[in-house]
Amino acid sequence: MRALDVMWVGLGGGAGSLLRWWIGRIVGERYHGGFPLATFLINVSGAFVIGYLSVLFSVDWRDRYGTVLNAGVLTGILGGYTTFSSMQLDAAKLAGSGRGQLALGYLLLSVAAGLIAAALGAALARLQG
Amino acid sequence: MINLVILVFVGGAIGAMAREFLMLSVPHLSEGFPMDILVANVVAAFLLGLVAGLHKRRALSDDVNTMVGTGIMGGLSTFSSFAYGTVVLMSASTLGAVVAIAYVLVSLALGYGAVVLGMKLGERGASQPG
Repeated sequence: MRALDVMWVGLGGGAGSLLRWWIGRIVGERYHGGFPLATFLINVSGAFVIGYLSVLFSVDWRDRYGTVLNAGVLTGILGGYTTFSSMQLDAAKLAGSGRGQLALGYLLLSVAAGLIAAALGAALARLQG
Repeated sequence: MINLVILVFVGGAIGAMAREFLMLSVPHLSEGFPMDILVANVVAAFLLGLVAGLHKRRALSDDVNTMVGTGIMGGLSTFSSFAYGTVVLMSASTLGAVVAIAYVLVSLALGYGAVVLGMKLGERGASQPG
């Protein structure tokens, strides 16, 4: 990992995190239900984009840096934009407030929708290619 | 507002760089199991729980919570690589599909356990002053 890769990952990670925070605020202003909608939308959309870009530009999923695309966009922006830890915190807070079934449903739905979104993104890129 | 923007950006940058350094220190498994992403996500879940717990009992300010919780821990963990890696593993082979399902279940279980443990420690005041 070169210094340039570190820089791209950092810049992308900062930008992606900012986008996540901003979308979280917008969704939070409009939606007041019990489902952690913001994190769900962020993670599913990020999974779609990583599947799409990886296939479109033939990036192996194990190659996390080396070019601006994989270091800055895939590892940086999308890695910073999506979050696994907030998903777990959302679920733990739901379970802590007596909504354990919703917490479990949220986790399973996030993963199922995320996998489908990543596969759809990859399929769309294959159709174009 | 602009202060929050800076806190989230700097936090996210630190978190994403820390994620890659942490992942480099995790050995690859021969079956293609993405142990490196799993470790980054579980560590981030534990630390996010800890930060949330400390913030809940006002041991951390809102600004620190935003920078560390939203920024660093959000940047340290990743859902996109988790999801796409699983899809690639699943479509590779039968063994890959089994590994992928194990990866998802282990990630969810360990991540959940880590965030709950972190929250409990944070709320209880695991970091005693002095």
